[in-house]
Amino acid sequence: MVASVRTEPQSFNWYTQHDGTTDVLTFLTQARLVRVNRVTQEIEPWLAERWTRADDGRSYTVKLRANVTFADGHPFSADDVLFSFAAAYDPKGGGPTIGGDVMAGGQPLRVSAPDPLTVVITFPVPFAPGLRLLDNLPILPKHKLEAALQAGTFADAWSLSTPVSEITGLGPFVLTDFRPGQRLVFSRNDRYFRKDSSGVPLPYLDRVVVDIVPDQNGQVLRLETGQADMMTSEARPEDYAALKRAADRGRVQLVDLGGALDADSFWINLKPGAFGADPRATWLQRDELRQAISFGVDRKAFADTVFLGAGVPVYGPVTPANRKWFSSAVPQTPYDPARAEALLAGIGLTDGNGDGMLEDARGVAARFSLTTQKGQTALERGAQVLRDELKKIGLAVDIVALEGNAAVARFVSGQGYEAAYFHIGMTDVDPALQTEYWLSAGGFHVWNLGQKTPATAWERQIDELMARQTAALDEGERKRTFDEVQKIFAEHLPVVHFAAPRIFMAASSRVMGLTPAVQRPQFLWSPDSLWVRP
Amino acid sequence: MLFFLLRRLVFAGFLVFAVSSASLLLAELAPGDYVTGTLGFSATPEEMAALRARYGLDRPLAEQYVDWLARAARFDFGRSLANGRPVADLISEAAANTALLATTALVLATFIGLPLGVFSGARAGGVLPGMVRAASVFLLSMPPLLTSLFLVFLAARTGWFPIGGMSSIGPGGPGGNMESFEYVAIDLLRHMVVPVLALALPLSAMFERLQAQATAEVIAQPYVLATLARGVPRSRVVWRDALKAALRPVASIYGLVVGTLLSGSFAVEVITTWPGLGSLMLNALRARDVYLVAGCAAAGSIFLAAGTLVSDAALALVDPRARE
Repeated sequence: MVASVRTEPQSFNWYTQHDGTTDVLTFLTQARLVRVNRVTQEIEPWLAERWTRADDGRSYTVKLRANVTFADGHPFSADDVLFSFAAAYDPKGGGPTIGGDVMAGGQPLRVSAPDPLTVVITFPVPFAPGLRLLDNLPILPKHKLEAALQAGTFADAWSLSTPVSEITGLGPFVLTDFRPGQRLVFSRNDRYFRKDSSGVPLPYLDRVVVDIVPDQNGQVLRLETGQADMMTSEARPEDYAALKRAADRGRVQLVDLGGALDADSFWINLKPGAFGADPRATWLQRDELRQAISFGVDRKAFADTVFLGAGVPVYGPVTPANRKWFSSAVPQTPYDPARAEALLAGIGLTDGNGDGMLEDARGVAARFSLTTQKGQTALERGAQVLRDELKKIGLAVDIVALEGNAAVARFVSGQGYEAAYFHIGMTDVDPALQTEYWLSAGGFHVWNLGQKTPATAWERQIDELMARQTAALDEGERKRTFDEVQKIFAEHLPVVHFAAPRIFMAASSRVMGLTPAVQRPQFLWSPDSLWVRP
Repeated sequence: MLFFLLRRLVFAGFLVFAVSSASLLLAELAPGDYVTGTLGFSATPEEMAALRARYGLDRPLAEQYVDWLARAARFDFGRSLANGRPVADLISEAAANTALLATTALVLATFIGLPLGVFSGARAGGVLPGMVRAASVFLLSMPPLLTSLFLVFLAARTGWFPIGGMSSIGPGGPGGNMESFEYVAIDLLRHMVVPVLALALPLSAMFERLQAQATAEVIAQPYVLATLARGVPRSRVVWRDALKAALRPVASIYGLVVGTLLSGSFAVEVITTWPGLGSLMLNALRARDVYLVAGCAAAGSIFLAAGTLVSDAALALVDPRARE
């Protein structure tokens, strides 16, 4: 089977590099203790056979599968689990590792191994998602990487210079060839631990080739012409027509997964003092401005224009695709330009000179810049639609399209931008694993990052609710609490969402056993059950 | 001649130094850096600082530059920030691929363009020379980007040639490493068809036009008319005497053509997913992989300098006045 990706991996080590291709490589070659089923969004035993939770709700005794070996024949044991946690929390990594992804309340988990097939995992604080966190931790071979960890060079271990024969894992495939800029080749791991329901050893495929095709048009063309069997990421709206034609001819299967898990986000810089002595500071950071913007944009038209008809209107950071945590009770702002104008008038923005555009009481034009990422079609188109829509309610917007790194640098520093339109991807559906976004101290709290103390009363309230939501072990209580968080968010709208793209995935019609999911990698999250018709 | 070549070599060295230095400094000065792009919102300021320290990006720009220069003088261009591999290794692999593509396209364009130019330039009228001229004007108006898109489309629709990449997966064993030499060579040639034609067709059109004009001018010279009047066969005059005299314009732009070919091949490489310097540079720029950007720019300028040098040498051979 031949899949295509846009970029080559930055490393063979997911612990130190989190790019999309390294993610695909990790799903193919590594395994976790538990796995989040991307379709049901529930956790499943994987290298862990079963587990029990202690009465305090913080400690888990995990029994590992017996007779599991790495692809190179070395037996897997609890020592590898301990090693993986140690590597994740390694302070000498020389940069971020995946440690933050396997922490609870900002603290590492305590892990011990009473015997080679048992691991006891203790959370430092009550943590509702529990073992779900372990989906973030592929288990690495201690026998291969222990020396690097001890030498303090783990951050450089399994770089692209490493011979592929050194890379081993517990996943369904083994990396057997890497040609920089061209492709990665994976062969079947004959020692893989899983069998299907009939007892047939998995995986079914003998070989997976991942071609590196930087241009997405090239990816589509390869799929259409049978030179590739799948794209690992979703098709763009502009690719839909070509892929539909190929599907009608029976060459391609086109899967509509519905709206995405996340929508592009609009926010205004709410960092205190971000606008200094600028006279617009009096109204730029007011809730009413963002509420007016939310009322002033026709989301249906926005979705149709930006995503060429393949989008769905959304009203908050949790989209309907997140079936468990989406709340239909959260207020949705309808398209109501009159209401938007009233809200703007309420903060002193009126059309004093009759030119159709608003000014504040001092005659300063109601105008702000909107920073977005250059080269991302949906973002650039979205920014243009926003500019046109907001002009109708008297707000002038100047688009500043920056190269991705430059835009992120401004957002992270909280300086050099007024408003942003950017893609913020959610890595998990469970809100307790997204606390960096929800909590005021979070590094992903984009509108005002890393606050020492909550800047507003409503952010303090969300902090408290999220603390309860993360600790509660009762799922009903967690849902009710998070619904409340979403309501507060919708009331103050620190981030405004307009539409999410529909996710279309395309694969050759000869590929069977697909279990597509909304989360990336949509097809390859479960590679061991794929097979191809001859 | 030796002094002339030495002077050109010094200029070539300066060009490589200036271009690579400017690339590094500009990439460093642009807002944002590799760390912000890689980590985005997902890291704390401490983690970002640690990563910057690891890559040496926390030091003053002047210090980084002097350090890079000192290492570059020893042909150590550092490691790619994005994937940790030595820049020299990445560059040499990609540059070899680009050189293969560019050289093949140049040779093909020369062998198509020059004879056709002499042919159409030697005849003032006629249907065939007119058709050659029309085809050249059409191809000249097509940038390599559009030509490659059209050829990729054609290859996709007909299935005659692969639409991208440099090699097929191969029918051999796991890893595709067991192909025979013949298989690899034929496979490579098949993959080269689309990118080479995309580069060579507009170039051959340019050569044809230049050569045609130069040939027509030379044939109109009194000494050529006198030779013809003496009864020397026209074909001999055209293909032996006039051709040498008419080569000067083409020889003088050969160096520039190498540079154009290289910059043109960037777009073609991306469209046809040819793993050359173009694709590498694009990825490096996107990731703000500063050392790799500087390395790619250095490699590009070496190509340009080498092309200019060869062109100057060729011109000096054809026309001794150029040595002065």
